[in-house]
Amino acid sequence: MKGKKQGERRPITRRDFLKGTAYGTVGLALGVNQLGAKALAQEKITPFAAKNPTSKIVLIRHEAAVDEKQRVNSGIVQEMVDTALKAITGKQDAAEAWKSFIRPEDTVGVKYTHCGWMRVHTEDAVVTAIVKRLRDLGIPKKRIYAEDSGIPLAKCTALINVPSIKVHALTGIAVSIKNYINFSSQPSAYHDDRSVNLGEIWLFPEVKGKTRLVIVDGLRPYFGPGPQINPLHRWDYKGVLVGTDPVAMDATCLRICQVKRNLFKGEEWIITPPPKSISAADTKYHLGTSDPAKIQVIRLGWEKDVLI
Amino acid sequence: MVIIFLTLEAWAVEKNPSEEKNMSPESLPKRVAGWTVSGDGQTFNREKIFKYMDGAGDVYLAFNFRQLLVQEYVKKSAPPIVVEIYQMSSSEDAYGIFSQDTDGDEVKMGQGAIYGLGLLRFWKKHFFVRILAEKETEETKAAVMAIGKKVVEAIPGSGKKPALLDWVPAAGLRKGVIPYFHKPISLNVHYYLADSNLLNLSEKTEAVLARYGMNQNRVRLLICRYPRPAEAEKGFEQFCRSFLSESPKKDGTMQVKKIEKGQFVSARWMDRVLILVFEGDDRKTCEQLTQAVAKKIMEANR
Repeated sequence: MKGKKQGERRPITRRDFLKGTAYGTVGLALGVNQLGAKALAQEKITPFAAKNPTSKIVLIRHEAAVDEKQRVNSGIVQEMVDTALKAITGKQDAAEAWKSFIRPEDTVGVKYTHCGWMRVHTEDAVVTAIVKRLRDLGIPKKRIYAEDSGIPLAKCTALINVPSIKVHALTGIAVSIKNYINFSSQPSAYHDDRSVNLGEIWLFPEVKGKTRLVIVDGLRPYFGPGPQINPLHRWDYKGVLVGTDPVAMDATCLRICQVKRNLFKGEEWIITPPPKSISAADTKYHLGTSDPAKIQVIRLGWEKDVLI
Repeated sequence: MVIIFLTLEAWAVEKNPSEEKNMSPESLPKRVAGWTVSGDGQTFNREKIFKYMDGAGDVYLAFNFRQLLVQEYVKKSAPPIVVEIYQMSSSEDAYGIFSQDTDGDEVKMGQGAIYGLGLLRFWKKHFFVRILAEKETEETKAAVMAIGKKVVEAIPGSGKKPALLDWVPAAGLRKGVIPYFHKPISLNVHYYLADSNLLNLSEKTEAVLARYGMNQNRVRLLICRYPRPAEAEKGFEQFCRSFLSESPKKDGTMQVKKIEKGQFVSARWMDRVLILVFEGDDRKTCEQLTQAVAKKIMEANR
């Protein structure tokens, strides 16, 4: 067998997924032959029992958050966001919980996802619920920038990352890490294989250290291959996820979507391309952890088909 | 050598850009089933497709995309309907992009169509058409189908399916649309193989991926046809070394390996064709499928 040229990278193949050795802990979520969350947990991942958990994710679901006509109940979404905030902080009162992350003197960018061509936006109800609580803290409208693009980052002292969840033809999955892509003046520089570097955007001087919360709209995620939407690949998960660690958040959403894909096809249907941006955000940019053993997922509310 | 030359000539003729006219907004009906056109239709060429769908345009470019026409239809108090008509360079590529996502129910429209929850997709000649209602109702479903019929009428004639499909053995083949593609980005949608171009695929390569067996049986047959034998040989070598972890046999003779989870994988290189079998239950499954394809190739070259 010919020797490898110096610097030549060994490809990561399907066999690495079969062995469970691809992309570290992120690869575990994409593991082949994982037809359900239970199997995933039992075969590959030590259930959460770590002595020093590093990241908490609150997943709250409500059966009535989305009705059969896909209409979102904004009152219930407000309640879900507030309850999740209380759970992650341990506070009894929603306002107190919000104060743990945002100060009245902050200028806040609420970065949501507006995806015209794929049509998987952050629902208005989620953004509205956040903005309402920021206003309740006494932050005037003029210091709240709820936008997909054009947030004046230099002015912002705090950011709240509010993405939707979609499996993505270019990056594997698009949740909180990719949601900051348009903070770059050259988003196309993060397409294809270069999406591995998405984490570096979080280290731009005007972005670094400002993200106080990640609040993910998991009401109607998308798990299909893309590039455009097939309505059969969207489901009413009716969830909202709240955390402070974007890597743990994306790794958790990845697991949910991978399990959903497998269940949909009745066999493993690996999310491709592999979302290298999650592993890189962990190991290269040190934005958080992708190791399920270090992520505590606190589940609240509706349990049916929770998938994790 | 003569056979190879002639086949390449035929390939080149098939792949020449079509002389067919572009689809224009005027080709579309102004009013269908109560929905009327809203605004001017937009067109996007190879360079501008990224303005419509960001970097995901690469998925279409991988199928020799030429032009996209987008037209929205609206009706008061009803969900809007968006019509997208993708003009590809050949009917084979129109079939190819159609075969990328076939989740839904087969319906009769054009040369092959699938419908599910408000989304109709079909191909005809060198056009791939997507018609999406923002929400599915009985009314939008009827309108989507009616618009689809009008678009079909605006595309006269029919196109060829990829000839490579003729090499797929029928015995034990699962029902459904067989994916046809050129590049790794498309292969990985159906069956993730590697994060690099292990099989040396390119825009000039043709490939089909067929499923065999029932229920939990997952056998997959991948046939790749390259412009030149040297390219097929390189794909064979890379696959043997990186996937099978074996040295490739010089003559391309079939190599079978039992890998993780008891799965059998095989590879054979013949002239400018690579035949791969994945997730075989045993060695015999791999051998039978490979031999069946080899027989068809030899018959075609006679």
